[in-house]
Amino acid sequence: MVNPIHIVSISLGVAFFLGFLRKANHNLTSTIMLLAFAANAFISAQWLWAFIYSNTEPFYIFTAGFRPPYSISLLMGRNEAIFTFLINIAGLLSGIFMLKTYLRHGVYAMMAFLGLILGLNIIILTRDLFNFFVFMEVSSIATAGMIILIKNVKSVSAGFKYIVASSLISILLLLGIVFIYYFGGSLNIDDMITNHLLVSKGAEVAVFLVLMSILLELKPFPANGWALDVYEGSLPGIGALLSATSATAVYFVLNKLLAFANPYWYNVVAVVGMISFIGSNLLGIKQKNAQRLLGYSSVGQIGLLLVILGFSNTLGEKFEYIAFGVLISHYLAKSGLFWLAGIVKQDNIKNWAALQKKPIFLFFMGVFLFTLAGFPPFPSFFAKWQLIMELSTAGMYAWVIGILFGSFLEAVYLFRWFGYAMKGEHNDLPMFELPWHKILPVVIGVLSVFGISYISKDWLPGGTSLNFIPLYFIAFMYLIDFAPAKVKNTIVILVITYYSWLVIPNYYNTDIIRLIFSSIFLIGAILTLIPGYLKKGSRKGFYPAALLMFSGLIGLVESTNIYQFFFSWELMTIGSYLLIIRGKYSMPHAFKYLLFSVGGAYFMLMGFGMAHAGQASLSFDILRTGVPYSSIIFLLIAIGFMTKLASLGFHIWLPGAYGESEADVAPMVSSILINAGVFGFIILMTHIPDANIGYFNIPYMLGWIGVISALVGNIMASLQEDARKLVAYSSIGVMGYVLFGMAMMSHLGWLTAITYTINHFLFKGLLFLAIGGVILRTKTFNMYEMGGLIKKMPWSFIAVLIGIITLAGIPPLSGYAGKWLFYNAIVLKGWYIQGAFIMFAGIIAFLYCFRLIYAIFLGQLKDEHRNIKEASVWFIIPQYIIIITIMLFSAFPQYVLNPIGNWLSQYFPNNALVWNGSLATSSLGYWNAFNIMMIVMGMFVVLLLFLLLVNRGSKKVGQFDIVYAAERPERPETTHMAYNLYAHYNKAIGFLITPWITKSWDNISEWVNTIANHTRKIYNGNGQAYALHILIYIVIAYLIINGGLF
Amino acid sequence: MYKKLLVFATIFILAGIFLKLYQNFDGSKTLNKTASYYAKNGASEVGSTNIVTAIVVTYRGFDTLGEVTILFVAAAIIGFFLKTNAKGTNRIRNLRFSSEIMITASKILMPIMFLIGAYVFVNGHLSPGGGFQGGAIIASGVAFFLLANPTLSVNHKVLSVLESTSGLIFVLLGIAGLIYGGGFLDNRVLPLGKFGTLFSAGIIPLVYSFIGLKVGAELSNIISSLQQIQKEE
Amino acid sequence: MEYIGLITGFILVILGIWGFLTQKNILKMIIGFTISDTGINVIIVSISYLKNRTAPILNRPDLLTDTVNKITDPVPQALVLTAIVIGVGVTALMLSYALRLYQEKNTLDINNFKDLKW
Repeated sequence: MVNPIHIVSISLGVAFFLGFLRKANHNLTSTIMLLAFAANAFISAQWLWAFIYSNTEPFYIFTAGFRPPYSISLLMGRNEAIFTFLINIAGLLSGIFMLKTYLRHGVYAMMAFLGLILGLNIIILTRDLFNFFVFMEVSSIATAGMIILIKNVKSVSAGFKYIVASSLISILLLLGIVFIYYFGGSLNIDDMITNHLLVSKGAEVAVFLVLMSILLELKPFPANGWALDVYEGSLPGIGALLSATSATAVYFVLNKLLAFANPYWYNVVAVVGMISFIGSNLLGIKQKNAQRLLGYSSVGQIGLLLVILGFSNTLGEKFEYIAFGVLISHYLAKSGLFWLAGIVKQDNIKNWAALQKKPIFLFFMGVFLFTLAGFPPFPSFFAKWQLIMELSTAGMYAWVIGILFGSFLEAVYLFRWFGYAMKGEHNDLPMFELPWHKILPVVIGVLSVFGISYISKDWLPGGTSLNFIPLYFIAFMYLIDFAPAKVKNTIVILVITYYSWLVIPNYYNTDIIRLIFSSIFLIGAILTLIPGYLKKGSRKGFYPAALLMFSGLIGLVESTNIYQFFFSWELMTIGSYLLIIRGKYSMPHAFKYLLFSVGGAYFMLMGFGMAHAGQASLSFDILRTGVPYSSIIFLLIAIGFMTKLASLGFHIWLPGAYGESEADVAPMVSSILINAGVFGFIILMTHIPDANIGYFNIPYMLGWIGVISALVGNIMASLQEDARKLVAYSSIGVMGYVLFGMAMMSHLGWLTAITYTINHFLFKGLLFLAIGGVILRTKTFNMYEMGGLIKKMPWSFIAVLIGIITLAGIPPLSGYAGKWLFYNAIVLKGWYIQGAFIMFAGIIAFLYCFRLIYAIFLGQLKDEHRNIKEASVWFIIPQYIIIITIMLFSAFPQYVLNPIGNWLSQYFPNNALVWNGSLATSSLGYWNAFNIMMIVMGMFVVLLLFLLLVNRGSKKVGQFDIVYAAERPERPETTHMAYNLYAHYNKAIGFLITPWITKSWDNISEWVNTIANHTRKIYNGNGQAYALHILIYIVIAYLIINGGLF
Repeated sequence: MYKKLLVFATIFILAGIFLKLYQNFDGSKTLNKTASYYAKNGASEVGSTNIVTAIVVTYRGFDTLGEVTILFVAAAIIGFFLKTNAKGTNRIRNLRFSSEIMITASKILMPIMFLIGAYVFVNGHLSPGGGFQGGAIIASGVAFFLLANPTLSVNHKVLSVLESTSGLIFVLLGIAGLIYGGGFLDNRVLPLGKFGTLFSAGIIPLVYSFIGLKVGAELSNIISSLQQIQKEE
Repeated sequence: MEYIGLITGFILVILGIWGFLTQKNILKMIIGFTISDTGINVIIVSISYLKNRTAPILNRPDLLTDTVNKITDPVPQALVLTAIVIGVGVTALMLSYALRLYQEKNTLDINNFKDLKW
């Protein structure tokens, strides 16, 4: 194998050799430079391969023929191989990316670049402190040169600020090193570690100076104004290089040097890192310049890495894995995003909408953003999970909160940016060029992300239990994304059908709950995919997103431990976000949805962490055994699920997100996705039956939240003009019922909740499909603009009628079963006040049910709809499948409810229903669904026959052949009372729904923005001020660590 | 006003930190272990009279490599950074002439300065001095020349070639140490010779000479780049 | 004796940093930096000093025996060589930056270069 010292000889040799080629063809010289980087990468790769696959020993390179500490030594170990490999590859890819720049500037720029990469390589390999200083200076000077590769005033002033800051830091570093030599007698790191040379008092100050200087090189907040200017002012390719490599190398050095420092330095590093992580991400929220935003994110990520380093002793052997996961995600994602910035060439993040001109770049951007944010299946997800679990085991909950808070802030600005890119106005933005040398690194970056995700999933305990097969299928679907939508639809439906056939029968006799939910998720998927046949073209990006969501959902059902559960939950979040954002006006709503989802997920993660603390397994049982914190765990995880259920307080995203989504996405998200929250609650509550915090009983409070959600949701639904929003708000209401039912923690309560869940899935899907079909035909979603459609769309009418009968709980349909069970449960539990509210809410539900069907189908047909056709058959088919299901469920509920009852009896043995055929007996009364169905159907048939008979003699009357109190109506609009239908109710009870929750959330976001805005003013652009910040940072650190001046 | 106060307070505390360092300095009475090793064995192992040179070129030769790289990168950066917008390098600039004394003195002193510089770096292993010091002296000679003759300029091509050649030879000598000696930049590739003579200490005289030439060339390059973009009067 | 060198060095460093932080003119900032740099170099050299000993150049035969007790510490003297050269490189770079900044805006006041902020 090649001696690593040849990295030096190759880089320097080529750099010197280029001096002969000053006037030569620039293509030739740049090729030589790239070959040098490739050679370096090859050397690192060779050693890396050897360390991983051949178990080689670490290789010490002794220079000058003498041994350390009398000469300088270098070490090529496994970690050194990894890090130098990363640096060299980054050098190679950056060189390719900035090929044009180097071609223009000639050999001098290439020499500086070679110097930079050489310097970074050596600071990783060296074992000598002064040698580190020398090559650190090489990198700094080379960086200063790289910054000015574009010669405008911004980059020159950024470069000057960089040199100012960097030289101040190096003065202090040199001082520290010299005194370390004085007090310790050696400059070799290994020597210092083994012989504990640095124990004297003076040595402590010297070590302080050295370590603080290195920390400052890592640009901690707030002493980093100079760094942000560098990121903003230099070329994007340089930004990528600096972000990925400089910080990586210095981080490695810090790890090296902490070995000879006092253990309290680990705490210092962690605190510095946390301040940087939270502060940087907070200020990132106000950024509008893409490169500067990436700079803030870089600083934040380094902060997170510092926290991980600070806890390396606590994390033990998992440290390397966690640090590497976060590091490689940062490295690939940051380079990728900077490279994209170099391609798009738009400074303002809003103008990144230009990416829509070439959608594959949106895919690239999305991959990098999701990697950065810590979503599966990317390495950062696995690393973050492990980090939270380990920190929780160590009881470091304050740190967990800090990390999750910082991550949340990062998600805020990253996804706001993504929203602009995906949905912003792009018509007046110029098309960006696509030179091959800029695209190649991006593509390599994306492929590497996926490659590393694939490799890293197996390193985690429990990682092999994750099911990746759906993800391979999704990748396949993405590859054939160019195919017509109908083809892909068929493929997907067939695959899901096959998968259902594999999965669902397994639960048939073993787990009725999982049977129900897997049916909801999978069969529901098939039903809501059928309308997809309507679409022409290839519907790019839809199928991977939908499949992500569905695989996440089914993954939830199949999961047996909290790790798989969380993995699936996050996949589901990505998929649903990508689906929702496809709607025309959905950008702000999708953003809100994502924020609430991410926030909820972090609460859940924290709950899982606390539950797992110290326990070996990850299975759901640990929720049960996670005492003494089980109440807090319950609350945290409950909050997570409540965001998905859109319970009151966490509901402001739902109407917009579900309402503005595409016509066939709405049924998917509102009837299927929302049940993920219910499933979660079932898992939670079956494992933690009760929770009390102080005087508060959590399930009791959840009950009240459910009740008020139901009430408020239903009132808001009644007051909507938009048909979609009406149906969306009614989901909030129904989920309120479900939450309340579960909160009762009794047999009948849960039976009610599950019945309502099944019903909701059926009628919400039905209603959204029907409304979607109608909206597609009428081209409007305001109900007052529709009307009289019963004659033109009879099938849709019948579907909506059945839907609202089920919703309202009128017998004979299954909604009635829910209502009956509900009142039984309430009376048995004794929660009469809540019961009264629920009844009131139920009555309000009639209001919006009526409004829905009246405003759309009854009333007066508008002129523009005279020639309208029935809704597309692709919408009708799934509706009628659902109607048949509802009928069956209404007539024969015992086949579903009896097994559920048996399952529930293991948790709530009292007050179960007793089934006798189709007769159900509770302790308060009885109910026979089949008989009711027969009676009502009989009445219906009799009346129908009577109507048909009587109708034969009737005369058809024109639409306006009517007279109202001596007035002749002329136009449909004035006769159809539909606009603001419930104005009087609004006056009466409208006060209950004043948007104070929305206002509260708006206020919170206002505060955060204001804090961010004010804090970022410390970066006033003055290089001298930045130097002062650095000095103040050191001085304050000294005072804190030393406990005073002397 | 507040800023001044802040600066003063910060510097005061910084002085406090330095004070701590100072207080623990006790002007030790003996050499520490690394220095003792060099003192005992430097002469015999490396064969150079000047122990500092032995350390710079051989024991810590890798640092010297870094140093050389720094100057090289700095010169390269200044080279492309300060490229003027001048239309051709042959324009006659209307610069102020230097005085009679300067011009005459330069004709006398320049060769002497070059000679002294060369002496310093060739004898680096025998007396105080070395490549960097010698190169700096040579560069100051060049600076003197440029000051005395503001309209003339140095030949960048020659300097570049000199720089690159010296650098490459330095790297090759290092690799020779790797192949024929004990490690990169081992000076025992050439025989150690008689202690205290010019041709002793292995490759140290060679290395230092080339470093001297390189440093001289680089510093001259920097100075002339700065000179090129000097504005007219 | 050795203390004088050290104190001078520290004072120079502090003076340099003070100049660096308070002077508005970029050239004066650079001069401040060079003063600090010189200060550091003086500190490094003073660390190597041991009382009553001579330079580590063994050009007298009596220095060849018992060298350990007769010469000062050669290591910092080697380090300072490198440090001086590094200082030269950085100063040269800073000066070119100052030149270019002046060309862009015709002023050398650091407060005029606040193009990038927040």
